[in-house]
Amino acid sequence: MDTCIEKIRAICADLLAKGEVQKVIGFAEGSIPMASRPIAVTSKDDVEKLVFNATCGLNLANYVSDALPKEGKIAVTAKGCDSRNLVTHMVENQVSRDRLYIIGVPCTGMVDKRKIAALFEDEITDFIEEGDTLTIVSAQKKEVVSKKDMLRHNCRMCTHRNPVVFDVMAAEPVAEQSLDQPFADVDQIAAMDPEARWAHFQELTKNCIRCYACRNACPLCYCPTCFVDESSPQWVGKGQDKTDINTFHFLRAFHCAGRCTDCGACVEACPMGINVRDFTRKLNKDALELFGWEAGLDMEKRPPLDVYSPDDPDDFIK
Amino acid sequence: MMGNLLEHVGVERDRLHFSWISSAEATKFVDVVKEISDKVRALDTDKKFAKEYTK
Amino acid sequence: MADDNIKIVSFLCNWCSYGAADLAGVSRMEYPADIRVIRIPCSGRMSPKFILSAFREGADAVWVSG
Repeated sequence: MDTCIEKIRAICADLLAKGEVQKVIGFAEGSIPMASRPIAVTSKDDVEKLVFNATCGLNLANYVSDALPKEGKIAVTAKGCDSRNLVTHMVENQVSRDRLYIIGVPCTGMVDKRKIAALFEDEITDFIEEGDTLTIVSAQKKEVVSKKDMLRHNCRMCTHRNPVVFDVMAAEPVAEQSLDQPFADVDQIAAMDPEARWAHFQELTKNCIRCYACRNACPLCYCPTCFVDESSPQWVGKGQDKTDINTFHFLRAFHCAGRCTDCGACVEACPMGINVRDFTRKLNKDALELFGWEAGLDMEKRPPLDVYSPDDPDDFIK
Repeated sequence: MMGNLLEHVGVERDRLHFSWISSAEATKFVDVVKEISDKVRALDTDKKFAKEYTK
Repeated sequence: MADDNIKIVSFLCNWCSYGAADLAGVSRMEYPADIRVIRIPCSGRMSPKFILSAFREGADAVWVSG
């Protein structure tokens, strides 16, 4: 995937030089290996800073509304999931299509950094990606692994690797995956009895430190005041009380109902390694089964929880 | 969908009810209250989402 | 359920179920005293926050009625 970065840089340099866009949102190398970070580039001399590799797991749609200048356009590089979240932003009137220049990047998945770090006992000093081969180096040893084996769970389950909306593509589209069981993980939890499910989620969130990194990394969470910060009335306490943690995770997930694109930024950002997608995946499954809906695919359609339709399922109403 | 997610995390489905009653349907109102009350009484007492306040 | 004092927090729409509850009252109908009614101006005022908040404060169940 590193091959298309030259094209991304060329496109960005061209756009900035012509003044078509005021800035470009992309990824830059982090201060340590595998820690790619979002960056806004405003000058064509800085496009060399842009990178794109298998560690760019955050969702750039999250940064668009904040980075948008008063006038003019910005460009954003978008993987499949970023583009779906851009569509969600446009559908929800957060940004208008004519303010954006979308550089589509076909994606073959992002790596699970925790899985890679688990291979090593000491600190990773270098990460090199060549096609499907990853070479990871630490002071003690060197590991060569296949990228396919190291993909994040949501990337393995991804069926929209190519951007759904773009002005220009940085590379040829990649083949989409087809899955026999798109929600095997959800079904596995659903098969447990209620007490076991409760225990599963208690175990899952027990390490939560309430840092809200999942919320901050999520492109869907743009409310000016989040429910967790409201104090009158206070919906949820701020400490690590079990009920507060449960309430927070439940409501955070529910706010993503019918909007989540399963981009995995929440899990990527979590410092405690909590798979918060266990909550949102269930909602994605329900959205698909009840409303035939996958978020961020169509700019013309309103999200299912946004509109009323006589065909909406109503068997839960007495 | 909220009921489904509650059930998914292990809260019984019978703890959340929805209904649609016109203001003229007092008999339906009474029937629904009875039905819900019976269903909730059949559940255990544990309140999973209740906050334990320390005073 | 061992505890006989159960609490069902009921969010009733002013124009629909609240009216029905009122009518049930003036008609002297009998129904279980387990519900605690909260009148909302319209079912559209309902929010998932309210439901979790009710559970948080110790409700046994929540009932939303339009």
